[in-house]
Amino acid sequence: MRSRRSLAVVLVPGLVLSVGIPFRSGWAANHREAPITALDHKADITDVYAFRSYGAGDSTKVTLILCVDPLLEPGNGPNWFPFDPDILYEIKVDNDNDALADVVFQFRFQTEQRLPGLFQVYAGTGTGVSAPSNSPPPIAPGTLIVPPLINDFDDLGLGQRQRYRVTMVKGGVAAPLANANGAPFFAVPANVGPRTMDYTALFNAGIYPLANDISVFAGTTDDAFWIDLGGAFDTFNTSKLPVLSPAEDAVLVNLASDSVSGYAVNAIAIEVPITLLTRTGNIEPPSSTAATIGVWATTSRPRTTVRRSPLPAASSGAFRQVQRMGNPLINELLVGTGSKDRFSMDQPANDAQFASYFLDPGLARVVNALTGGAVAIPSPPRLDLLPVVTYGPPIAATGTPTGPIADLLRLNTGVAPTPPASASRLGLLGGDPAGFPNGRRVFDDVTDVALRLVVGGVLAAPFPGFTPGIGDRLGDGVNVNDTAYRTDFPYLGDAPSGRSRRHIDPGEPGCTAGFGAACLP
Amino acid sequence: VSPLRRGRRVAPALALLLVAADAPEPGAVVSPAARSVAAAQQAIEARPDHAAGYNALAMAYARRARETSDTAFYAKAEQAVEQASRRAPGDLEIERTRVWILLGRHEFAAARERARALQRRVPDDVLVYGYLVDANVELGSYAEAEEAAQWMLDLRPGNVPGLTRAAYLRELFGDPDGALELMSQSYDRLQPAEVEDRAWVLTQIAHLLLVLGSPGDAERALEQALSLHPDYHYALAGLARVRLAQRRLDETAALLRRRYDAAPHPENLYDLALALERAGASEEAERAYTRFEKEASAESEGADNANRELVFYYVDRARRPEDALRVAERERQRRQDVFTRDAYAWALHANGRSEAARSEIQQALAVGVRDPLLFYHAGMIASGLGDLPAARSHFEKALALPLPPEVEARAREHLARGGP
Repeated sequence: MRSRRSLAVVLVPGLVLSVGIPFRSGWAANHREAPITALDHKADITDVYAFRSYGAGDSTKVTLILCVDPLLEPGNGPNWFPFDPDILYEIKVDNDNDALADVVFQFRFQTEQRLPGLFQVYAGTGTGVSAPSNSPPPIAPGTLIVPPLINDFDDLGLGQRQRYRVTMVKGGVAAPLANANGAPFFAVPANVGPRTMDYTALFNAGIYPLANDISVFAGTTDDAFWIDLGGAFDTFNTSKLPVLSPAEDAVLVNLASDSVSGYAVNAIAIEVPITLLTRTGNIEPPSSTAATIGVWATTSRPRTTVRRSPLPAASSGAFRQVQRMGNPLINELLVGTGSKDRFSMDQPANDAQFASYFLDPGLARVVNALTGGAVAIPSPPRLDLLPVVTYGPPIAATGTPTGPIADLLRLNTGVAPTPPASASRLGLLGGDPAGFPNGRRVFDDVTDVALRLVVGGVLAAPFPGFTPGIGDRLGDGVNVNDTAYRTDFPYLGDAPSGRSRRHIDPGEPGCTAGFGAACLP
Repeated sequence: VSPLRRGRRVAPALALLLVAADAPEPGAVVSPAARSVAAAQQAIEARPDHAAGYNALAMAYARRARETSDTAFYAKAEQAVEQASRRAPGDLEIERTRVWILLGRHEFAAARERARALQRRVPDDVLVYGYLVDANVELGSYAEAEEAAQWMLDLRPGNVPGLTRAAYLRELFGDPDGALELMSQSYDRLQPAEVEDRAWVLTQIAHLLLVLGSPGDAERALEQALSLHPDYHYALAGLARVRLAQRRLDETAALLRRRYDAAPHPENLYDLALALERAGASEEAERAYTRFEKEASAESEGADNANRELVFYYVDRARRPEDALRVAERERQRRQDVFTRDAYAWALHANGRSEAARSEIQQALAVGVRDPLLFYHAGMIASGLGDLPAARSHFEKALALPLPPEVEARAREHLARGGP
């Protein structure tokens, strides 16, 4: 009578969550998404980051990063991973607690094919290779056949080149952000391999400092996220879940394999002064009710509208949102499969319709059940989760208007950045006030933090039944990234090279080098 | 005339809900729905304790009701859905079937209520948005209909049920070109084996082509529809409208006689009576009117009724304005769509309440709909109030569209006189 049982539980919304999630969803960041987004890989947002810049001399700025296009295999030629010119990529900021965008950064890409006769889009070696003396006609000996190593966006071998435009929309006014000299922004290509390109040189050339202390970057980089994805999706069959020992929790060493290791992602990053984002135009102290902003990112495609625009040119200007992301946990972790598409395409300000998912997360019930009750969970409604989905302490200052329930990544811009050496991968839960869920840095272990948040007892005062050393020490055993992050904008690591990328398999020695250092297995 | 109004018994916008359903065997002679009925019955025989077979049977009967225009199939569908529900209370598929049957029964308010509840439960389900569009269009809640249709287009770009509904809304909002664009896209996306769906879309395309002034193209589309689905009642009605526009009045009447034989409902009888009268078959027309009045009055208090036609019959033919207003008021309480408003306005006007009539018909026209009879009625109402510039503008719009000959003559006469 299994089918009868499952039909019966569909009637009870609370139970839909607990039955629906383990088999249809996972708890990674959004590397696998709502049903329709899963079909639209290019528009699939993997991660959104927002943090006070911790690079030298940049602590009065905020860095915002949008990553799309999950699990890019670095060697996957001949076309690699251009951004999609049809997609409107946007990073949005709410600064007055209404979950509506007050500042928006828009990114649109254009693709040129500069070597249409070549069989792959990037090619290069040394100083170039010419046709030898026995080259058959019509190619004369000495004709350049293979271009020189690519180390600049103007180099011949960069057959596929993408440039992009950035627009800031603030107060209803759209202003292009451009290089002072009018030069275009180029997106950093995939790291094809050392013979073809000097990827690091291209990466560095792809960081564009603009006027007004703004910097932009777009390109294929290391996927900054890490997780035991395979274990997580095997219905929480991770090698370390659920409870880490104090020692395992403390080390910056991986005890399980990082499934995202050796994969690239497409990243868009922008660094702006805090004063550009807050509603007061000031750097507010952390205690200010104007200090906390809400960040989310969206991908959108042109759409068919019920009403055609009376202006033919404007008809093509309408976009349907394909995906959005604020917190790294919400859609993937909490929203039911039958709601994921609507969630992805709706606005955060309308998230009250999903409140039951947020305040009685099915995931918590699953962990509770899978551990036979060993991991206790609070009773719904889970008001302890409100700081993640509304403006409130410990992220936003007391007195901040809570605003509607909305999936925004909330960042108290008044909290000074923690120097990387003393930062905690567990962010706020690890006593590091500048880390997730107060914004999100690239090295925050959102998997472990999200798991602990959802199971409860860590953000608010412990609930009756909460046992220290269990709910507050859940984790997948993947504690660090497989590769080093940059310590300055855009704070992302180099994409693994197509020739020598390495995916760390389960059972293998993992990355043990920890934050900031090169990771050598 | 709008495609939806023609669709008595089953709102035709309901078409194409099942385009993705199991494809029928090629070369079979029975209709897709009849095949689905047989398949569902086999499924029930194999697993009588399972809900799925009964649900499939209910859907197949509801679909058969549209194919044949025989409402008896709805009773069968209701029985089947009850059987399904007993086996799996609250099941999503079964709840969806219930909404579809309610729509087919023209229980629009109840259908909307259930569809809204389903939408909250499963917000990703494109077809639930389709039901919301249908119910809201019928009830005259066009903003909610548009929002639901936009969600259909956004959630699954290019889905046929979304395209056909958006097309109909475009037409209601006064954009037949845009409607044709989306209807043509739907046709290109249909499965070849789904002959009835293809015939239905072709019929809609033909209607739009006729409105856009291409009766020849409309005729070709309808011939194709009739070759796909012989004696298809919607296509016969469409072809009759082409013939009427061509003033081939005998053929119009003959086609509507065939249509009435295929779909014997009072409102189709009213159309037939008008056509017979235009063709000079006065005695047969008289009998048809008499029978129409009897049948339409009998079902007037029900949800599935011919009240709109009954109002026009009472005003234009029987000269019983008070009866017209009584029926129109009742229907107007149930729904506020543009066509019900039109009928209500016409009844108000016939009772000397032309100010109220003007306000009512202006609310219908504000939606954007470009229907020749609606414009004609608006012209007559304005003319009755002595607002000659408004009357002229309405008559000119009516005359730019296909009008029945006697209506065209009256409109021209008023336009020439410049007054009542």
